[in-house]
Amino acid sequence: MDDGLTLSTFFEAWELFREAALTGLVAGGLLGVLGVYVVLRRLVFLTAAVSQAAGLGVVGAFYAQLHFGLAWLSPTLGAAGATLAAVALVLLGRRGVSAQHDDLLGVAWLVGAAGTVAVGTRVVQEVQDVQTLLFGTAVAVVPEDFHRVVLVAGVLLVVHAWGWRGFTAVSFDPDGARVRGLPARGLDVLLFATLAVAVSVTTRVVGALPTFAFSVLPAVAALRLAPNVQTALVIAGVVGAGTGFAGYVLAFLWELPVGATQTLLGVAVAGVAALLGAGLRRLTAAG
Amino acid sequence: MHAPPPILRADALIVGHGRRGILPPLSFAVRPGEFWALIGRNGGGKTTLLRTLLGLQPPIAGATERGAGGLGYVPQRGDYDLSVPARVVDFVRGGVDAGWSFLDPLRTWRQRGAVRDALAATEVEGLARRPFARLSEGQKQRVLMARALVGAPRLMVLDEPTSAMDPINEQAVFDRLAALRDARDMAVLVASHQMNFVPRYATHAIFVDCDLGVALAGTAAEVAGHDAVRRHYGDLMNAA
Repeated sequence: MDDGLTLSTFFEAWELFREAALTGLVAGGLLGVLGVYVVLRRLVFLTAAVSQAAGLGVVGAFYAQLHFGLAWLSPTLGAAGATLAAVALVLLGRRGVSAQHDDLLGVAWLVGAAGTVAVGTRVVQEVQDVQTLLFGTAVAVVPEDFHRVVLVAGVLLVVHAWGWRGFTAVSFDPDGARVRGLPARGLDVLLFATLAVAVSVTTRVVGALPTFAFSVLPAVAALRLAPNVQTALVIAGVVGAGTGFAGYVLAFLWELPVGATQTLLGVAVAGVAALLGAGLRRLTAAG
Repeated sequence: MHAPPPILRADALIVGHGRRGILPPLSFAVRPGEFWALIGRNGGGKTTLLRTLLGLQPPIAGATERGAGGLGYVPQRGDYDLSVPARVVDFVRGGVDAGWSFLDPLRTWRQRGAVRDALAATEVEGLARRPFARLSEGQKQRVLMARALVGAPRLMVLDEPTSAMDPINEQAVFDRLAALRDARDMAVLVASHQMNFVPRYATHAIFVDCDLGVALAGTAAEVAGHDAVRRHYGDLMNAA
């Protein structure tokens, strides 16, 4: 710990940090839950590609505001549009072979990354915002963004709590789900749409790096410990929320970048979970 | 005596990929109490026909029609991703989601009695809390059957249920299927590249071979006695 920064210091200044710390908690919890589907469906790089696309959407929106006078095109709207386009591209590609699927993820990531850099050179005035977005160095979150994250997380978590059995069926037994008469295509589209909305909103507020981390690491940790998918969803939500909040606090205490700290904490938690999971499996096998 | 109405009917059904049919037209009707064997060489068109009958891909021509009652499907064991965490009971619960919708999200919870029955019918109650991924191949097959049975199907469709099994487990699977068919008055349709189970268990058979351009359906004796089958497989399907 540095310069006498303590937990007391943090909570004494809670008014200053409240929105940002709670945004980490809410975003981590939401993406932790959705990340279970991302990890188990081997779509880890979907989030990376989609958050890059969101970055392009943000710089695209700045560009449109500056050069075309489209003041209504907010960065959040730009991120949402680009994210949905990337998810639609990947979703359509899933009809093909998996190599094609990987190709499309790569294309979405590259277009997002290169496009952000290229368009970013034309929005020099906003470059600080773009950097903040991409690397998640934001220390403060404005109340409007916090409220937006809470609203989106609330709606999406209700959808997932309500529909987890359908999402699970189409994710892990798609043929069986269709034979049993579930609306497989609609459920799949809805699942991807919730992912797109979550990623676009959180990327805009907390940054691409923590968004990617929250959508992968809590699920990785949960899947080492959980006996079934529903338990994994709960554990991943709790781990994501904890990582988001504690990562913010640690970043304050150690004066580190927020997104990087949340990510490294997530890696550490996943590592501990892997050890715990291995121990539990050994105990179960011995018993 | 009238024959009971069919659970599954195919009328001049042509299956294939894209717009190209790979087999001649096929017509048959599956009724309760029947045990159908869908046989043929690997790559002969069994999976394409099975997927079409299940509604997973459209027919090139003709039609399929499902009668009243549910359909239980047991895919090949390798079709399941074992990295998805699931205990046996979780796995079987997945089979009761027929009819699930956002308007009825608690349907699975209400069907817990059916889950218990299916676990008992396939003798896997003792494994209920065990991880599915760590079961033996024979145990996995019983769990997959429980998952298909839990929706009280009138027709159970199994794709290569005995692949990678030794002969003793193989016979146990077919004995169990025959017993379930009798106990539940349902029909069974088994796709397999092994033909030696046909004489002992099957009442009816479908033989397909896209290389030979042959698609036959009828009683097991009719199909086994067909020239094309005898020419290529000798008495394999007639062996007792």
